Parts: sequence; C-alpha cells; structure tokens
Amino acid sequence: MSLELITIKMTLAVYSAATALSFVYLAYKDEKWNRWMLNLLGIGIALHLLSFAFRIHSFWQISENRYFLPINTFFGALSYLALAVCAIFFIIESRHRLGILGAFVLPWASLSLGVAVFVASPEISGLVPALQSYWINIHPMVLMSAYAAFGNAFGVGLALLVQEHQIKSRKPIALCYRLPSIEELDNLNYRIIAAAFPILTIGIIMGGVWAENAWGRFWGWDPKETWALITALVYAGYLHMRYLMGLRGKKAIYVSMVGFACVVFTFAGVNFLSELHGYLSKG
Amino acid sequence: MKLFRSIRFNIILGAIIALLSALGTFLPQIETSPDKVEMYRSLHPFSFRILNFFGAFHLYQTWYFIALLGLMAFDIIVCKLWNQPPDLNATALPPENTNEEELEKHWAQREEALRLKPFQSSLDSSLGFDETFKRTKSFFKGQDYAVHDEVKTSSGAAFLATKHRMQRWGSYIAHIALVVILIGAGLKALYGFTEMVPVMEGETAAMKNRPWTLSVEKFTVHFYPKTFQPSLFSSVLRVKAGDELLGAKTIRVNHPLDIHGIRFYQASWGAAGMFRSATLNLDGTTLTLQQRVPKKIPGTPFAVEADVLMPDFTISDGRADTASLDLKNPAVRFLFTVAGKPTPPLWLFVLYPKVCLKENPDGTLEHAEVPPFSLVSVDPVLFSGIQVAYDPGYPWVIGGALLWVLGLILLFYLHRRRFWVLLERGENEKTKISIGAWSSKGGRDFEKEFARLTAEMKSRLSFNKMEA
Repeated sequence: MSLELITIKMTLAVYSAATALSFVYLAYKDEKWNRWMLNLLGIGIALHLLSFAFRIHSFWQISENRYFLPINTFFGALSYLALAVCAIFFIIESRHRLGILGAFVLPWASLSLGVAVFVASPEISGLVPALQSYWINIHPMVLMSAYAAFGNAFGVGLALLVQEHQIKSRKPIALCYRLPSIEELDNLNYRIIAAAFPILTIGIIMGGVWAENAWGRFWGWDPKETWALITALVYAGYLHMRYLMGLRGKKAIYVSMVGFACVVFTFAGVNFLSELHGYLSKG
Repeated sequence: MKLFRSIRFNIILGAIIALLSALGTFLPQIETSPDKVEMYRSLHPFSFRILNFFGAFHLYQTWYFIALLGLMAFDIIVCKLWNQPPDLNATALPPENTNEEELEKHWAQREEALRLKPFQSSLDSSLGFDETFKRTKSFFKGQDYAVHDEVKTSSGAAFLATKHRMQRWGSYIAHIALVVILIGAGLKALYGFTEMVPVMEGETAAMKNRPWTLSVEKFTVHFYPKTFQPSLFSSVLRVKAGDELLGAKTIRVNHPLDIHGIRFYQASWGAAGMFRSATLNLDGTTLTLQQRVPKKIPGTPFAVEADVLMPDFTISDGRADTASLDLKNPAVRFLFTVAGKPTPPLWLFVLYPKVCLKENPDGTLEHAEVPPFSLVSVDPVLFSGIQVAYDPGYPWVIGGALLWVLGLILLFYLHRRRFWVLLERGENEKTKISIGAWSSKGGRDFEKEFARLTAEMKSRLSFNKMEA
C-alpha cells in the first residue's frame, strides 16, 4: 500500500473519530469533547495535507502532469472536497465558537472521503491535453471550495430544522438548549452562502475563460456548465428572497437546501451526462 | 412595468430558466451530440416528435429560451433603474442635504430621526464643546471611518461617519454586469461564428466563413505508454488568404493561434481510415505493407494486402464498423490470396493479437482460428480537427465577468456602516453626544461592533477628561 493510501485511510479514521466526538459533544455539551473534536480535526487536516503531498509526488512522476494538481479524478475531487469542508468548518468554528455544529457538518466530510477511499479509484493517470493547463490548479479548486462552504451551510440548515422542530414540539429535549438560536443559525447559514456565492461565480467565470482557451467558446451549455449555472441561479434566488423579501427561518433553509441538492448533482451526478467534463467519473 | 420590477416575478422567471436549462441537460442537444439525437429519434419516435416540436433538442437556441434570457436582462435594467436601493434604513438624515439655517430649524426633527436608527446610544462629555467635537471626529477617523457632511452651529454640531460606502454600488454593478455579459453573448450570436475544419496531415482545407485556407504541415500525436490515450497533439498550422500568409504556429490544446480576433484551436484529431503502413509479424519476421498494395509472403504461395483501417473497431449489425475516429481499438482488414485465389478477408487487431475475425461474403463477421501471424502496428494517416472561432462578444463577456466579480465582492465582502453623530451644547461646558447607526449587515453582526465603538468612545472621552 502506498504512503498516500496509508495516510488517506488514517485521515478517514481521524475524521470519523472527530465526527463521532462531535455527536458526543452534541449529546453532553461537555467542553472537553469539543476540544478533543477540534484537536482531532486539526490532526486530520494535517494528515490530509500530507496525503495530498504524497499524491502530488506520485502524480508528478508522469512528466505531462508536472506542476498540475491531482484533482482531475473523482477520487482527487472527493478528497479535496472533504479537506475543504473540514477546513471551512475549522474557520467558522474559530470565528463563531460553534463547535456544536460539528455533528451537522463533519459527517459530510467523512462521507465524501469515505466514498473516495472505498468507491473511487485512487489510480493515477496522465492528464488529457485539455487538462494540461494552469487553470486546473485554480478553476476546480475555487469551485469545490465554494461547494464545501455550501456543504457547511447545509449542515447549519439541518441544525436550524432540528432546532425549530424542538422548539415547536411540546417536550423539547436538552438538545434544544445546546443548539444556537434559530435566528443565529439562520444568520450563519446566510453569511456562509453570501460568502461562498461570489466564489462560486468566480469559479464559473474561470471555467468559461479556460473553455474559451481550450475549446474556443466561453459558454457551451455543457451539462456541467449548465448545472453550475442552475446552482448559481438557485443561490441567487435565495439571496434575493432573503435580502429583499425578508425570507427567514425554515422556508429560507429549504431554498438553500435546493441549492445544495444542485451542488451535489453538479459535483457528482452531471459527470454521467457531460462528455466534456465526464473525465471526472473515470477516476 | 410594476410586474417587471417585482422581485417575485423575477424569481419565478429565474426558476423557469433554471428548469428549462436542467431539461436541456437530460435530453441530447443537436449542437453537441447529433448522433445521440439520431439515436433518440430511432428509439423513441413518438416522444421525439413531441419534444422536437418544442425544440427540446436545440433548447438553448429556441426563440422562447432566448426570449426568457432577454426578458431577464430587461427586468434587471428595469429593477435597477426604478427600484429603490435595498438599504432602506439608510435614508437621509440631517445633516445630509441640509444647510445651516435648515439645521437650526429642524434640530428637533434631527433628534427624532436619530431615534429611528436601528442602533442608538448617547453619552455626555465635560471636555467642552469644541474639544469634544474635535475628538469625536478624530475617534471615528482613527477607526477608519470617513467623516463628512459636517455642520456646526451655535447650538450644536453634527457629522456623518461612514465606512465602505462603495458597498452600495455592489448590487448595481453586479446586475449591470449580467446585462453586459448577455450583450457579449448576443454579439457572438449575431456576428460570431464557429466552424470545424478537419485537415489531413500535409493537406490544405478551405474555411466556410472566410476566404482563407488552412494547411496542416505536420500533425503530431503522442500517447501515454501502452495506451491510445493521447498525452499531446499538435499541428503545424499555416493560415493563408490566397497566397498571402496570415499566420503560422504550432497549435495545441489550450494554445490557439489568433489572427485579428479569429482563433484557431487544436480541437480534435482522428484517423479516417487511411494508413501509411501496417506491419505483420510472421513467425518472428516482419512484413510491412502499404495500404492497398499487395505483397507476396516470401517462401509461401500466399500474397497479402491490407486495405481498410477501422480506428475504433466495433461490430454493428454483425458487420465491421468504427465507434469513433479515435485510435481506441485499431483493426486492419487483410486480403489473402493463395496462388491467385482469394480467401475470406481477416480482421486483425493491434491491441488483441489473439483475436481474429473472418469476414463472410455478405460482410458479416465470425470468429476465426488464431492465424500464425499477428498485426504488430499500424501507422495511420491522421487528420487534425481545427476549430475556428470568432467571438466579437468575448471582450464584453470578460468585461462583464470582471464587473460581476467586482460587484459581488463589494456587495458581499464589504460591510457598510453609518454613524450619525449629534453634539449639543449643554450648560457648564457639557456636551451631549447622540449617536444613531446603521449597518448593511444589520442585526446581531453589527450589535457587537456598535457596543464596542460606543464603549471605546466613552472611555476615550472620559480618559481624555482625566488627562485634561
């Protein structure tokens, strides 16, 4: 087994342990569990970066791949997505001290890395000529960072739905007092989406510039491009509804969740429809 | 007009565009996958007729889809021209748009207006009016606020402290940018063109949209080891108008040739069925054959001729066919004659030396015994697929995209804050400071900052008092 696979499996184990601790923290709200969760998450991110470095080393053994990042395959993309979800959660936690949300966010990082490790092939192959461009180091990274932020917002949205259910139920359990208020969760969900939306659109534009350089057109209604646009339209709708129509709470969360469903489809589902971007499914 | 300015209407319009766009990804589109559209037509003739009536197989070019995009652009312009800015809390408050005389007259109004601001606070200073005024202003300046609309009268003074005022333009810039991008797309649709020119290596082909010719002097393709997966393909391209050379360059993917805004891309390549040579391994010795040139096999009564190449061999209706023009599974047909008498043609494969197919007189194929020879290699004549594109709207699209990014950054990453500060002369050198504030982020996010700033200002003034 290569060093990359050993470290990525260790990363998955550490992320899973951090996820488990996040549930323990949710159940008992003892700060020590939160500290442990965050420590494990930090270790997991460091291991993940190490694994990424090993993968880059193997990837660059093929001369055509040199100085490009290995996220051209489904394995590489899922792995980067998991890393980005964790890193963004780490940033949000450090600013807002909302470790309690780990139970709603970290499972998605573990799931993403789990699918990468157990389903996708970690095999490394040479880049097709269209991908031998510096844009591969920027365009997918930017888009997937936005997707990871939307993943965090989705977790926050789930927490809001749980909290609202608790508040409306006749016998709210202790969880109700541990989770942040609905207003705080709604606000955080909005702020994450508002921060990620420009990143999403920058990523789409970068893709257009790359497509112009490689294929001679900025926009070609390829399914991957089209679904990225649909995702942007849904989130733009969410921002308008929240900003101008005062949409808040559960309804706003439902709209943002439609946006996240589009993110998931754009990331994974569309590869089976797109001929140009279909290479992602071959990894 | 009211309908077009309505946010609800525009959200519904955006949703319709999103749904239609999604539909187009599940149905093959004639521009990108004409073969799949044909397949759909043959497999589902009834639903094809219905869907085709609505233009579902060229959905993004249908009049109604383009009309919806146009309507969206129109709505954006109408909304941005007529709708009020979204920050309704930032309505003017004296001292904005007010002269000194007015200010004196409406002092009471001013206090009332301050009380309507989302955040308010007040404090007293014993530093003396002039000193308090000076230090309050310098406090805000020290916090990177711009101080303006300053008014000073006999009964008091007022000023406005703001931060990140540019933020209010974010929404306008982002929306106008979308219109600029759509103008760029319209320019491409009206005046641009795209055409694919396949050129065989060493040959010349004419363009349709310009009286120009394209010559591929040399086409090179490199493969990853033991695969037909290309690692690089490039063409030495010369573009001429008559005898005049317009441009020449070795183009490869991501590195096009640009002549007066018309760009020549290395888009594809393939094998159309011609080849320079095919090499057979005959019990350790090799025999190289040119296409359709029979050759005797030394020491035997046999003669052999290689006549057809299928670059991506497949069996269709029981007969030999090619799935694509890519060299994914190259196979060559060999015609053998024994003492002048033909035998059934055999298909041999580069990638599968243990497979041999016999072709019957009706063209159908059947498995044959593995012969004592194999196909070692084939040297196909390749064509280079040159995509020529002219997009006069591209600079607009790029300009619009940059504006769009700028607008979104202003809108979402800047946090506009306004402080209305009112100072009233009191007795015994006392000054009452009333503060009203508003923030584009609103609510709780600004609450902490407002509390911190007012507390800091209080302590600064009292500290200064002690100093004084």
